[in-house]
Amino acid sequence: MKNWLKVFAFAAIIGTLAIAYMWFFVYNKPHKDFEKANPDYVISAAECYNHYSKDKNTEENNYTGKVLQISGTPTSIESSDSTVVVVFAFNSGMFGDEGIRCTMLKSHNEKAKKLTSSSSIIIKGFCSGYNDTDVILEQCSLITK
Amino acid sequence: MKKLVVLFTAILAFTITTNAQQFITKNGKISFYSDGPLEKIEAHNSQVNAALNTETGAIVFKVLMKSFIFEKALMQEHFNENYVESDKFPNSTLKGKVTNAKEIDFSKDGTYEADIEGELTIHGITKNVKEKGTFTISKDGIHGESKFMVKLADFDISIPGAVTGKIAEEIEITVDVMLKPYKK
Repeated sequence: MKNWLKVFAFAAIIGTLAIAYMWFFVYNKPHKDFEKANPDYVISAAECYNHYSKDKNTEENNYTGKVLQISGTPTSIESSDSTVVVVFAFNSGMFGDEGIRCTMLKSHNEKAKKLTSSSSIIIKGFCSGYNDTDVILEQCSLITK
Repeated sequence: MKKLVVLFTAILAFTITTNAQQFITKNGKISFYSDGPLEKIEAHNSQVNAALNTETGAIVFKVLMKSFIFEKALMQEHFNENYVESDKFPNSTLKGKVTNAKEIDFSKDGTYEADIEGELTIHGITKNVKEKGTFTISKDGIHGESKFMVKLADFDISIPGAVTGKIAEEIEITVDVMLKPYKK
């Protein structure tokens, strides 16, 4: 094989691999698996809500954008369409109850619907912040004790 | 006689206040969509706070930017880090008024056109907006829907040079909220 052909073939292979890498691991990289992710913080639901409602600015940087594992007794379970939200209420304001609202991963919807407001639970999810009434957790999963 | 007038006014004021109804949701849905030459961008948020006072027509929306879920993780990262800078500007809000609230009979089932005027804040920039929507009133509550366009440049959201012209400069926002009466 001629030398220039070898160089060309080598460059073509490297190029294809680079494009494949970009396509699968950069452009189409999967969302973080929050069910398997290790929590950045393990705290009680009350502690989490109090931090945000009392000192929003300090905690904005600490918990927002992080994986939180919270424990507490839910006050209600809201279910609409394919969305199930587990609510820990600690206060009351213009938008009704205020606290922590956890949107469950679809695979945890059925388990979440069966929860009662008498048992303590542990939930892990991605904290998207505080909207002046509630702390919002997304893509949550129930942790079996 | 004076006492009677005072009493009558007090009763009237009390009746008006108790009739003034606040309708709220915390499960409101807002999504956006843009179809540029390079790619389609779509994201959904299902934890939107919304409140409507049917007496005054006052309406408020509050959205956490980090709660928008995209199909592609990379798009979600770019949206939060480069476009809306959600660490710096975590919330978007709309504070306004249903200007034709008096023409809507919130006690009677039906679909009504709503004219909404207010201040829309995205990426720390506040603009006056005037949009149309509909309210469908039923026993379940008030179902509010609206679809409108937002120009990214109006809110100081810049498109990186490399993708200018490939990403739509205007995005379509869809609002879908089921407001329920707020019981204190």
